[in-house]
Amino acid sequence: MTIRARLPRLIAGGVTLGLTLSLSACGSESGGSSNDGKIHVLVYGDATNKVEKQIIETFNKTSDVKAVLDTIPGADYQQKLQTIISTPQAPDVFFNWGAGSIQPFVKADLLMPLDDFIKDDPGLKDNFLPSVFNSAVVDGKPYGIPMRGTQPVLLFHNSKVLADAGVQPPKTWDELLDAVKKLKAKGYTPIALGAGDQWPTLMWFEYLYDRIAGPELFQKALSGDKSAWEAPESKKALSMLKQLADAGAFGTNFDSVKYTNGASVALVSRGKAGFELMGSWYYSQQQQDAKEFAEKDLGYTTFPTIDGGKGDPNDIVGNTNNFYSVLKKTKHPEAVEKFLKLMYSDEFVKAQMAVGNLTTTANTEKFLDTAASPEYAHFQYDVVKKAPSFQLSWDQAYPQSASTPMHQAVQQFLNGQLDADGFIKAMQALPNE
Amino acid sequence: MTTQMTSTPPAAGNGKTARRRPDGSYVAQVGRPGFAWALPATFFFAVFAIAPLIMVAVLSFMSWNGLGSPQWVGTDNWSRVLDDPVMIKSIWLTLLVTVLGVAIQTPLSILLGVWAAGQQRNRAVLSVIYFIPLLLSSTAVSVLWRALLDPNFGIPAQATWLFGDGNLFGKQASAIGVLAFVATWQFTPFHTLIYQGAARAIPSVLYQAAEIDGAGRYRKFFHITLPQLRNSIVTSMILMIVGGLTTFETVLILTQGGPGTDTTISAYYMYQKAFKSFDFGAAAAIALALVVAATIISLIVVRVSGYDKMRGTMEGLS
Repeated sequence: MTIRARLPRLIAGGVTLGLTLSLSACGSESGGSSNDGKIHVLVYGDATNKVEKQIIETFNKTSDVKAVLDTIPGADYQQKLQTIISTPQAPDVFFNWGAGSIQPFVKADLLMPLDDFIKDDPGLKDNFLPSVFNSAVVDGKPYGIPMRGTQPVLLFHNSKVLADAGVQPPKTWDELLDAVKKLKAKGYTPIALGAGDQWPTLMWFEYLYDRIAGPELFQKALSGDKSAWEAPESKKALSMLKQLADAGAFGTNFDSVKYTNGASVALVSRGKAGFELMGSWYYSQQQQDAKEFAEKDLGYTTFPTIDGGKGDPNDIVGNTNNFYSVLKKTKHPEAVEKFLKLMYSDEFVKAQMAVGNLTTTANTEKFLDTAASPEYAHFQYDVVKKAPSFQLSWDQAYPQSASTPMHQAVQQFLNGQLDADGFIKAMQALPNE
Repeated sequence: MTTQMTSTPPAAGNGKTARRRPDGSYVAQVGRPGFAWALPATFFFAVFAIAPLIMVAVLSFMSWNGLGSPQWVGTDNWSRVLDDPVMIKSIWLTLLVTVLGVAIQTPLSILLGVWAAGQQRNRAVLSVIYFIPLLLSSTAVSVLWRALLDPNFGIPAQATWLFGDGNLFGKQASAIGVLAFVATWQFTPFHTLIYQGAARAIPSVLYQAAEIDGAGRYRKFFHITLPQLRNSIVTSMILMIVGGLTTFETVLILTQGGPGTDTTISAYYMYQKAFKSFDFGAAAAIALALVVAATIISLIVVRVSGYDKMRGTMEGLS
């Protein structure tokens, strides 16, 4: 359990913490973003960077103020962003998630409200689906322009496994319970769940709450009314989830399975499990991990309806999109404005579609057939378009400080460490600002 | 003692006195190294350990989420951290992991070290293979074991008689068991190396004398080897305790503190507070509490073990 490298590492951690503290202290005085006459665009580093590079090249062809793309690898993005944002190295434009993650930046007075840009060019608002655009609105002001693609959570399945057990993709909750019973009898794990990562479990809560209580209950809780968690609908959602878990839907070892190391993904592709509830990126994940399976036997549906539930069966949950936020102190607001206009250009939409992302612009529909999988793109687009409500993932709607206790509560409820009352108390204790 | 010491030249000393002299008079005449020798280390220690420590101490009285400027909040972070049941639990878990590490690894590495110091056939080859885990980083080791212990595709799927449903990371006892096992797998070779060196330094005359007196293997082990390893045991245990108290990467990758908070040890809790919740003030308070606790524990270890008065084990042999 021990080696000499540990202590220096702990000390090095301290240094980093100390340096960031002193750096940020400088930053808040001198202020402003980088001074090299360029705009810096900071994004989450992954495969989509290909598109962002292309867009920046296009932008630089016509602009006097050049743009530079900076990337930070995924797992470290949030940490590094927060440590440089108040320093002179801060980017002018950066990748962000929805309202919950934008809010702390707004509170620290770092972001520019985009009203003036939109006054200049109403297209910056009108060219995006309203439900998506609105999820970057904080205190009535827009702080983000959608970029990349939308990520609704869908119910995926292995059609071979379902056929073997004589099960149809379920339309209702009762059909799902029935499917669980049949799959279990055949020796399959009915539903793959990467509960070791905690956040995949959260998706089940989000959908059940939405179907049973409608989106209002969560909005109420998010806005600070903690009694919402004690509502009868909340208790009903919990009891139904418990019923599903007790029926053996997720097997017994879900806490030891992860999504992020590909284990739950493999459960479905190798025919050991029937279903998996996951964000729309699941399709490209399967394409990467198990190409043949993704093309032949990977099926997808929306979350089942629940009898007597108040929520619209067309409601979806997930990540509405990612957003570009603009640093208040940017020295080149005009260039930034021009750059943001590219986010609804045909070139942008086409490039995103080609890498499997479904954009949320008004012209998306024209390009659905150019997508990596046109059929899947059409399905997803219809789902998003006809959804009356698109609930942002709970851990992104709430501020960052809530995500660890929320993930813990979700895990503990599903594995029986917390009962319904314990879960309700844990959710009521979450900080909401 | 003196003859043993003089057989190696001093690491530091000024040129004039360092010339070889006849045995006996040599040690007394070697100049003590001046304070200047310690300056570089002192400088780096001040810049990279003391200064950050002070900054962390200051930060623990502030509220800061990484954005904007930190605000003074007085002892608010401290009262929150000290009242936090998860924090209390994390301290117990840290101690448990540390104690488990010492209790499992010490006997194992003594036995292996003594064995590796011997002359058996194939010993060298086996030792080399055995030291391989030492070369891997904790991160690689954790990723490796996470994959090997996957309930559906790893070892548990094949050995259901031993692992049942393979839900190793879903229960507290087995999750801690995995952490202890992985740490043992990774670090026992290092401690074995310490004991191997120490066991080889034991003069063979002691064993020859014991054999003449009719001592068997066990007597020789308990009455010569173990007492002669005493200083190495203390050294190795201090390293284990320091390592145990700062266990981090394995938890981050293997369990993420789960299920629930069942493996959230203090160092990981600090990380969660700082880089998941962006509550740097509370994280700094935890960090400082850890520094204080670790200092107290190491002082106790030094006192109890007699490390401060550590004597050579060569007396009476020269």
